[in-house]
Amino acid sequence: MAEALTARESIKAADAHAPAAHIEHDTNTGISNTKLGMWLFLASECLLFGGLITTYLLYKRPLEGPTPKEIFDIPFTSTSSFVLLMSSLTMVLAVSAIERGDHERLRIWIGATALLGATFIAGQIYEFTVFVREGLGFTTSRFSSAFYTLTGFHGVHVTIGIIMLMSLVLLSLRGKLPEHRSETVEIVGLYWHFVDVVWIFIFAVVYLVP
Amino acid sequence: MTLTSHDPIPASNLDGAVEDYSRDKVYVLTALFLAAVTVVEILTYAYPDFPIWADNLVIPVLMILMAVKFFTVLYIFMHLKFDKPLLTWVFYAGLVLAVLVYMAVLSTFRIWWPESHG
Repeated sequence: MAEALTARESIKAADAHAPAAHIEHDTNTGISNTKLGMWLFLASECLLFGGLITTYLLYKRPLEGPTPKEIFDIPFTSTSSFVLLMSSLTMVLAVSAIERGDHERLRIWIGATALLGATFIAGQIYEFTVFVREGLGFTTSRFSSAFYTLTGFHGVHVTIGIIMLMSLVLLSLRGKLPEHRSETVEIVGLYWHFVDVVWIFIFAVVYLVP
Repeated sequence: MTLTSHDPIPASNLDGAVEDYSRDKVYVLTALFLAAVTVVEILTYAYPDFPIWADNLVIPVLMILMAVKFFTVLYIFMHLKFDKPLLTWVFYAGLVLAVLVYMAVLSTFRIWWPESHG
């Protein structure tokens, strides 16, 4: 208990007096527990999305209702994919900006990332609306259930990412995100890039593979 | 010393890094490369009879392009190339486990032999 209090006080002192310094992590691995924890979480997410993609592959041939070829709008989804890909660039530039102590650029790049993510989500909502109008509801066929579950889960991940990005902007505006806490931005960045990586897979397997 | 976007970020300033993180220019070039690969992916849909991916080669070509994009984001944007190898092993443990488990599931359902479904 006393050790935890001392550690908290030392972090507070670092916040107040050493904005450019990084806090050393006294872990066996030399990597902070939060960063290692995020990578472990991402590794477990491979199993979650692997399961959803496998289910989609098993059920992609509908027994009733519209087929993927009939309803997918590849040019539209390609544009959405491009938007999400570019959000990975703005995210890595945001991480780079905080590592350099440039808070203004950090907020610009994080804001751009959130905006691109929101554009992607808006595109997904539009796509779902069109599909439902064309007769592909969640329970129309085994294909539709697998498709909406997979892409819907991904969309929820993107939405959570946007909430985390907006939280970072708020923290930065309140001055609670000094350079030595750049790891916080890096960890949110890892999550965001993973969401992009998953979409790279979904775009190829679900939309492009004939 | 203030770092600019033209300077790499020293590993000593970073958590768990063994190499300096790249300059911003490297990230922009990586994004352009990823965009180019995405264009090639879309071309497989727009021009299905193009000689490189005609004759049932479209799925292997798409899988290769997808893997190139996947590992580029992983190593450059997510900094696996610059961080301690432990993080790579942690992530690969989940990835390899997922691939093995779900390949087994797909094989159980005979997805590689669609004609066997009857």
